[in-house]
Amino acid sequence: MIEVKGLKKCYRGRTVLDLDELRVQQGSTLALAGANGSGKTTLLRILAGNLKPTEGAVETASPVLYLPQRSYPFRGTVLDNMLLGAKDKKEEALHLLQSAELAHLQSKKAASLSGGELQRLAFCRLLVRPCRLLLLDEPTSACDAAGAKLLLELLARYRRETGCTVILSTHTPAVALQAAQRLLILHNGRPEADGDPKELLSAPGSDWAREFVAGWKI
Amino acid sequence: MDALRQAFELLFPPDKELLQILGVTLRMSFFSTTLSCLIGLPLGALIGTRQFCGKAFLKKLIHTLMGLPPVVAGLIVYTLFTHYGPFGRLHLLFTVRVMVIAQCLLIIPVVTGLTASFLEKGAKPMIETAKGMGLSRGRVLFLCLSESRASLLSVVLGAFGRSIAEVGAVSIVGGNIQWKTRVMTTAIMLETNKGRFSFALALGIILLLLAFAVNVAASWVVKEDVRDD
Repeated sequence: MIEVKGLKKCYRGRTVLDLDELRVQQGSTLALAGANGSGKTTLLRILAGNLKPTEGAVETASPVLYLPQRSYPFRGTVLDNMLLGAKDKKEEALHLLQSAELAHLQSKKAASLSGGELQRLAFCRLLVRPCRLLLLDEPTSACDAAGAKLLLELLARYRRETGCTVILSTHTPAVALQAAQRLLILHNGRPEADGDPKELLSAPGSDWAREFVAGWKI
Repeated sequence: MDALRQAFELLFPPDKELLQILGVTLRMSFFSTTLSCLIGLPLGALIGTRQFCGKAFLKKLIHTLMGLPPVVAGLIVYTLFTHYGPFGRLHLLFTVRVMVIAQCLLIIPVVTGLTASFLEKGAKPMIETAKGMGLSRGRVLFLCLSESRASLLSVVLGAFGRSIAEVGAVSIVGGNIQWKTRVMTTAIMLETNKGRFSFALALGIILLLLAFAVNVAASWVVKEDVRDD
């Protein structure tokens, strides 16, 4: 169970995140949506332990893995990157590369990959190791439709195998619909709508949420 | 032209005293740069990659020390190592060792400050990615330093440049003693004071050649590094 209570993050007096309470059941997937600057990344960075909240308490299950919006390609080949901190997991790494259709690039320098390939590599690099909480910040933003589908399939398989909780942020409704059991829409750092993705997309609740959902490319 | 001719004459065949001065200069610069980097690089990496209370003040202090005048550093070290000073019984004054200590006082803040600012600006995506992968703190720090090695080499070169060109601190604590603590910069100062401008200029040309050789070697290493990548 992931539990957040009275969480607040302020930058120079401006509140960018204000959550009274958030509970996420172990093994479930929560999708975060909202306009740019709505607090999605801030929430994920706090949960990942990369950012200290101004107020409030966070209880997470560990180990936690976090995929930032812009992942860094480390020096070396694609396979070197996969084995960073997981030298003994070559077999799993190769299998993951195969599943993500990156196996043919395993000897290529990671820095020379395209945006979509790099995003797939960064995602697979996390999945080599088990975790109890997986945090993904716009995991399919650089992928084409086929790449995004691959990533979501990999995510579903990883969730099944590890039983981990997933919290992901997205600007794509299809991702929320396909991967998550719950959708939380944030507006100016506060929850605007919360519920089943399918229901929320058809009946968003508040006027702002309706307008936001209408703007989403479905 | 006269200076160039004299520089050539000093080098071919090599003048015995010049070789000794060059040896002291290189030894002092090598040790002060190495020690400063051993302390400054990890310290800068810690400051640049971690958040802690008092960080802003520490950065201001380091930036102030980056501009520490060499004569002030020399005076501080002189006071510490003089006969009646707290470290007087070590009898290090007017030795190459104390010159290295004085230079470290000048160079450590430069290495620390530059490393911290570089990592603070350039290493955020690296750190976030590495931490997100669940790597240990030590491993994250090592990865950051390893990924930034080309840029950090510039910091090391800057440190070496400051060391080899420094005159104020080493002349105070070293005393510019012939065959013992005389380095290229203090020799140039002495020859200028004696009115032997051409000779001083010749020494200056040799010093420049030395700095150039070190820079070329370092650039070669960086180029190889980039090619490797």
